[in-house]
Amino acid sequence: MMLSVLLLIPLVGALLFLFLPSKLAPTRMRGIAIAVLVVQLLWSIRLLFAFDLEQSGMQLQESISWVEKLGLRYELGIDGLSLPLVLLNGVLTLVAAVCTRELSERPRLYFALILLISFAVNGAFVANNLLFFLLFYEIELIPLWLLILIWGGAQRVYASTKFLLFTALSGVLILAAFLGLAFISGSVDFSLSPVVTESIGMGTQLLLLGCLLVGFGIKIPLVPFHSWLPDAHTQASTPVSVLLAGVLLKLGTYGLLRFGLCMFPDAWAVLSPAMAIWAAISVLYGSLAAIAQKDMKRMVAFSSVGHMGYVLLAAAAATPVALMGAVFQMVSHGLISALLFLLVGIVYRKTGTRDLEVLRGLLNPERGLPFTGTLMILGVMASAGLPGMAGFMAEFLVFRGSIQTYPLATLLSMVGSGLTAVYFLLLVNRAFFGRLAITPIDNPDVHKLLDVQLAPVAPRETIPALALAIAVISLGLLPASLAGVSDAATGSMAQLFAGVG
Amino acid sequence: MPVIPSELVRYSPAPSALEITNKLLASETLLAESDVHLIEVVDVLKSYGEVLDAYSKNLIYQAEKQFLLPFPVFKFLDGDRSLAKIWRHLCHDRINFEYAEYCMKAMLWHGTGGLDVYLDSAEFVKGISLIIAKKKRDPLLGMLHPLFPQFLPELIRTAATTHALGQFWRVMSDLFIDLAVAEANGTVNSIASVVEFIKAGLVAAAANPITYGVQIDGENFWVLPPQAGLTFLVDVAVPYVEAVFLRGTPFLGTVSFNAQAQQISPDQAQFAYGALYADPLPTMGAGIPPSLLMQDMYRHLPQRLNNLYQNRTRADGDVRVKICRSFQKAMFCVTNAAIAGTFPHGLAGSNPTEIAADQAYAQAWAQRLAMGRTDCLAI
Repeated sequence: MMLSVLLLIPLVGALLFLFLPSKLAPTRMRGIAIAVLVVQLLWSIRLLFAFDLEQSGMQLQESISWVEKLGLRYELGIDGLSLPLVLLNGVLTLVAAVCTRELSERPRLYFALILLISFAVNGAFVANNLLFFLLFYEIELIPLWLLILIWGGAQRVYASTKFLLFTALSGVLILAAFLGLAFISGSVDFSLSPVVTESIGMGTQLLLLGCLLVGFGIKIPLVPFHSWLPDAHTQASTPVSVLLAGVLLKLGTYGLLRFGLCMFPDAWAVLSPAMAIWAAISVLYGSLAAIAQKDMKRMVAFSSVGHMGYVLLAAAAATPVALMGAVFQMVSHGLISALLFLLVGIVYRKTGTRDLEVLRGLLNPERGLPFTGTLMILGVMASAGLPGMAGFMAEFLVFRGSIQTYPLATLLSMVGSGLTAVYFLLLVNRAFFGRLAITPIDNPDVHKLLDVQLAPVAPRETIPALALAIAVISLGLLPASLAGVSDAATGSMAQLFAGVG
Repeated sequence: MPVIPSELVRYSPAPSALEITNKLLASETLLAESDVHLIEVVDVLKSYGEVLDAYSKNLIYQAEKQFLLPFPVFKFLDGDRSLAKIWRHLCHDRINFEYAEYCMKAMLWHGTGGLDVYLDSAEFVKGISLIIAKKKRDPLLGMLHPLFPQFLPELIRTAATTHALGQFWRVMSDLFIDLAVAEANGTVNSIASVVEFIKAGLVAAAANPITYGVQIDGENFWVLPPQAGLTFLVDVAVPYVEAVFLRGTPFLGTVSFNAQAQQISPDQAQFAYGALYADPLPTMGAGIPPSLLMQDMYRHLPQRLNNLYQNRTRADGDVRVKICRSFQKAMFCVTNAAIAGTFPHGLAGSNPTEIAADQAYAQAWAQRLAMGRTDCLAI
């Protein structure tokens, strides 16, 4: 029942908001949401203690017949692939609630939707049934669409509609693959059991895996299915961006590993060289596009496109080290991108802009945002993969695990890693160094006389970012903690692939 | 992208050179009259006066007691070598005497006026030859002098500038503290009266002799003898203003220049990096202090000015920027007083030649001041 309780905590919390008096102050509602999410995080940590690190298969399983004729069973289970993501979801949903400030519009609905997303994401990660996974996958879509549509920026309708269309298409493709599998195998059992495809022809396998690749590729997102992400991030509020980049994109990579690699290892072996090149293209395109951005948030969004490409590269190689790298990359990208979006949010709140042609000198110790700038430098260093931080360990494992299998794609991805340093140094150099300014330099003589008066950042505003920065460094210094959780599961997945390959 | 809120960026237009010229010729103050300006100028000068008192004492101590000491490790301790004093020094619970040294070096390097002329004269070289002959008995100096014959004379020039600056700041410190007393008892109640008070103080001290002698092994030697005829205003005050207010001041961390990118003129006279030109906002990364002087003045800030700052922008968070802006306002008042006191002819005269000379004098000053941080003058 431990996994059911994990799902019930945010679900009950979300339902609780429906019964709260609408006159309740938004800060109180925020407090209640935080309390629920703290309980959820503590329960997630409890799962960690109940988890047997030596076992590679699903643990803490629960199975109840639900709609038997449709093959829909209430089946839950957790392994070394999903547990880190459940913990990540616990941390980042809490961070999203904590960093929600100045919410005046429909706070009840807002926090209920945040909790509903947390419920759906946890559900997707622990679902042990294909249709059950898809159910949760689709459930998170609607709250996120509403969060962008109601609390987003000026172009929120365009961005949210684009997000809805892309992600709905993603869901349709995944559903088509699952139903196609059932149709071809003649079974209505949608239970998640690895290598169910032995009796299916290679052509059909490739078709089904192709559907999953495109479906999850939209969610990750991989080039060329990425265009919804920068728009969604740009229009979404900071907490929603934290959730989107930190957790929701991981549904795509998780799905790819869980359903693509584990269910179609034969077809995976055929398609993996193309996937490796696809990953390299995604990494390079995301990095080059990030260099061209003038909006800090779009730059971070495009960096996500690049960094999620590493996961595809690792998945394509499917060696034990590479798959471990994929898990590390998912977790580290979740923490680092959430940190960067939080910091961009602080900059935007204080200056009213994210334009890199306007912002200058925010590291100014007297009138700028020096602590925010310091954390930003730390965040971009982590994202660029500097040793001692989470990003380094993730990229090192991905490259180390993939170089022998796909040397060209890995080398190209390494170039992308170098480009990360380029665009983030551009960001830091433009926005944080030099004389403090938040206006374009039309006239240098006037510009140097401007008296900029930004409100200081209160320490409480940086607590979530500080916590994430500590997590990024901790994971970089103590990678064995995560490796211990995922080692058995990723090793087993790699064996599965090696067995058929 | 939303519009940047206008309250986040303020711009105060700087007056043109013509406006400055007109104000100087009309005996108007450069700094606008206001009660807030009066508090800022008087109180910041009071804290500056207290800091200058410490600087002055230390510079004179260094020049007299640490003269030609090869390793002046305790030069900032003013002779007090108690453990408590050393501990406070190491914990940085102290005045930044380095700032005074930087000002001295700026004066030495930009050398203008009578002091510099005397330091380069044959009379000076002859005068210090006795000192060098005496000091050559020191084994280290005795070995260095034949190898580097300009070494000891340059050290003595440095010591002379140090002492002269100490004497100059002695007068200015007393003047600024007297100004605060005068404002407290109501004698000074406007910016115009502040400028007038400073002008009167400078004029009164103008002819004060600047001399400097040292004692070596019980024997007295003149470095700047009375016969050199050096005086307070022309030979030290004016070169100080030229070096520190106009050409270059060590407001560390406020701005950086790239000489390779031709941001620094090869002509020293074209330098405009002085206190009147410094950007109050520190540039570059976190952790660099905007200025040692601002830190020192912050330690001595009068309560009234501190209360004023608490209600502005980030209260204590950006207090050094606010002190710097107030300091620049005060320095424009001092410059205003110095210009008013050094016009070639009385401004009330009707002789066309004299009027033209005064106009040329005012225009020359206005050209230089117009490039400075005059945006602080209106608000």
